Amino acid sequence: MQPILRLEGVNKSFGGVTAAKDVSFSVPPGEVQGLIGPNGAGKSTLMNIISGIYTPDSGKVFLEEKDITKVAAYTRARMGIGRTFQTPRFMQRSSIRDNLLLGTDLADQIGYLKGFFGKKGKPFDEELEELMEVAKFTFRWTDKIDSLPFGQRKLLEIVRSMLGHPKVMLVDEPAAGLNHKEIEHAMDLLNMAAKQRGIGVLLIEHSMDMIMDMCSNIVVINFGEVIGQGSPEEVSSNKAVIDAYLGGDLDD
Amino acid sequence: MSLQLFSTLFINGLAMGVVYAMLAMGLILLIRAVGILNFAQGEMFMFGAYISAALILDFHLPFFAMIPVAMISFIIVGLIFMFTIYWPLRKASYAATTIIATMGAAIVLRELAVLIWGAMPRSMPPLMQTPEGGAAILNIGGTPLPWQFVLIIIVGAALMLLIYLLFEKLYIGKLMQAACQNSYAANLIGIPTILTIAATYSIVSILVSVGGYMVSPIFTVNNTLGTMQLQAFAGVVIGGFGNIKGAIIGSLLVGLIEVFSTINFSAYRDVSVFLVLIVVLLLRPQGLFGEKIADKA
Amino acid sequence: MTLKNLATPKNIIGIIAIIAFVVIVPQVVQGFAMTIINVALLFAIISYGVSIMLGMGGQLSFAAVTFMGFGAYFIANMSTGRLGFVIPTFLALLLTPIVFAGVAFLIGLVLLKLKGTYFTFSTIALVQVAFTYFNNFQPLFGGPDGISGIPTLTIGSYSFGNDLTAWFYLICVFVIIGGIIVERIRRSQLGRSLASIRDNETAALTLGVNTYLTKVIAFSIAGAFAAFAGALWVMHGRFVGAEMFNFLNATQFIIMAMIGGVNSTVGIVIGALLVRGLPEFFRGFQGYMNLFWGVSIILLMVFMPTGLAGIKDVIVDKFRQFRVKSRKGDDDDATNTKA
Repeated sequence: MQPILRLEGVNKSFGGVTAAKDVSFSVPPGEVQGLIGPNGAGKSTLMNIISGIYTPDSGKVFLEEKDITKVAAYTRARMGIGRTFQTPRFMQRSSIRDNLLLGTDLADQIGYLKGFFGKKGKPFDEELEELMEVAKFTFRWTDKIDSLPFGQRKLLEIVRSMLGHPKVMLVDEPAAGLNHKEIEHAMDLLNMAAKQRGIGVLLIEHSMDMIMDMCSNIVVINFGEVIGQGSPEEVSSNKAVIDAYLGGDLDD
Repeated sequence: MSLQLFSTLFINGLAMGVVYAMLAMGLILLIRAVGILNFAQGEMFMFGAYISAALILDFHLPFFAMIPVAMISFIIVGLIFMFTIYWPLRKASYAATTIIATMGAAIVLRELAVLIWGAMPRSMPPLMQTPEGGAAILNIGGTPLPWQFVLIIIVGAALMLLIYLLFEKLYIGKLMQAACQNSYAANLIGIPTILTIAATYSIVSILVSVGGYMVSPIFTVNNTLGTMQLQAFAGVVIGGFGNIKGAIIGSLLVGLIEVFSTINFSAYRDVSVFLVLIVVLLLRPQGLFGEKIADKA
Repeated sequence: MTLKNLATPKNIIGIIAIIAFVVIVPQVVQGFAMTIINVALLFAIISYGVSIMLGMGGQLSFAAVTFMGFGAYFIANMSTGRLGFVIPTFLALLLTPIVFAGVAFLIGLVLLKLKGTYFTFSTIALVQVAFTYFNNFQPLFGGPDGISGIPTLTIGSYSFGNDLTAWFYLICVFVIIGGIIVERIRRSQLGRSLASIRDNETAALTLGVNTYLTKVIAFSIAGAFAAFAGALWVMHGRFVGAEMFNFLNATQFIIMAMIGGVNSTVGIVIGALLVRGLPEFFRGFQGYMNLFWGVSIILLMVFMPTGLAGIKDVIVDKFRQFRVKSRKGDDDDATNTKA
């Protein structure tokens, strides 16, 4: 199957510190791909390289086999790379409604002028209801975003990303700071994204339960280098991986 | 240009540069300590000039009695400033809120000066006087240099060096900086943040007030002295934000550019400074001496 | 949004208040006081630009005063025949926002390459450079004497002349149109994109917002607002001098917006009326007025950081703090937005 996202020999260093060294892997559509590694292994750096916040020193990034290494971050988002952050990043002084509309703006791409003169995008209430059904919580449109508890904001960030209709979703530690129930709902959302919508999900996570449960394929990195890759079984029996996790800090 | 004219202009520009550098250094110290861009810096400078004028012209204090009294007054002004403008706003979520508050403080200081000392500019005696009471001139190889300019350079440079050493080289200064930037760490070492911040405000107040005092014999004491902070802003940006050395060199450059551009187009001297500023911003946003800002997500 | 949605009690009260203001003010105010109100309302239009740049986009720009100057000098040159030709005042007025939206766009392209405080500094530089030219360059700006004898606004055969009440109605129309434009922007994709830039630029990028271009567009709109108000201002006062466009006055528009509430359109109009009106109202205490004024700015920022429009929020927040003692926050993001 043709991968939807592919990294080819990506290198990045910050003033002598290597954050990514010759990293190559790919994300197939409709699957959840895990990206794991000890703290500081370079996972978030890779996320930033894929979404275009950093430019790699060398190497290439492909979206649907199109070279996007030199494409600006916002264009990549419009081309279909969605992402969430470790701590959810919302417009803190705006309502939930406005925050979610930002996701649909991305899907609709109406433009400022047409938007100003009242052109509206496709109605998304139905889609939102469907997503909120999975996320298992309700809210009032007009509430301020920071009136929601942390866990619900993290779920809502996944929802916002899905409203943007991405082809690939980069999800950074969705389980951190969530309670047991919320983790389940996050998993439901991500499974829905992959299985029902065919989105390629790249999942960074420290919770091994979640990774083992959801991922068909896992990439393990340490010190910016890919040290193992394969199915959950393969990875968990890989010696280099075990060393990295046992030798380094034990996150889980 | 004759060498004589050049030297006179150079000393003049350097002196103004030192004055801007004092303002700029104060700005950086505050930005580092509390993260606030102080739009009332120029007015603190002006207020310093007024206080000195009052001590000399109204209370007729002899020079050596005036210095300690002036220092204590400057510290008091700095502390009042801190407890009214910074302290209540230290947790404000909008950065613009604190900036506007410092603009309000600028108005207050300007008006207070007029209310207390009147709207008429006050002329200050120069530090070095001729027997007739005029400004003394230093003559070096046939080049006349006004003593006041020379003194500004000496006093300003000495004061800045002292503060620089305190903050950058001495253990206590480093500790203070660390405490200001990280209240958690400060509490671990056991320094109350409020003390270190109060110390910073006092030092900044002394620094800029002395600048105001030194410059007042040249421009008279009036309530527009504060506009010099714009040149200091320019110096900070040209030199590099958050970098004391850079800000000082940048400010010196501003002083020199200003003076030398008066030769050809006197009305447009501001233009040359600020055009240099815009060009620097575009070519090297981190400033001439700033480090490249790490690209950080 | 349908008409039905608009007919909320809050909106109805608002509309009644606006109508009452427009009807009552000319009945009770004349002469010099009317000039003050007219100018205050013109300044509110300029502060709308601050609302777009600072309130929505989080970008502190001092450039408004310079674009006001551009608009004013543009009219002065177009309508007095100083350049050897004359354009009808109404046409010149309509041209102003278009021309200076373009100029602001170009300047914005340059200045907004810089971020945060660097950008703010570059706008200070712009204000200083422009002020020096306004004050010295004779051919276009009349030098230190300024330009006087500027014709009043004439639409068709109707001339506004010195009829302050007629001016008041005209300015009210523009304040309302401007307010509607600002509200539309706030509720459309542009407003949301700006807000996302304000709160987290990285997140905005990953949501497909072209942050650079969006900021330039906002700068351009703010410039158009300021230039348009400057054009009206000069035809209302019939004189333009450089003094108006110095850095001190640049801060005035920021203060107006912050006092009223940088994200509240109505708040901005009230802020402008207060900033311009109060000092005149207390003219008897002139000496103490500015002092009082500075102190109130500080007090307002301390106790109502979101301006007068934020009174409700402040109360609600206090109440909420009371209820929710601690909640897991995201401090790393909060630091990003602080300059």
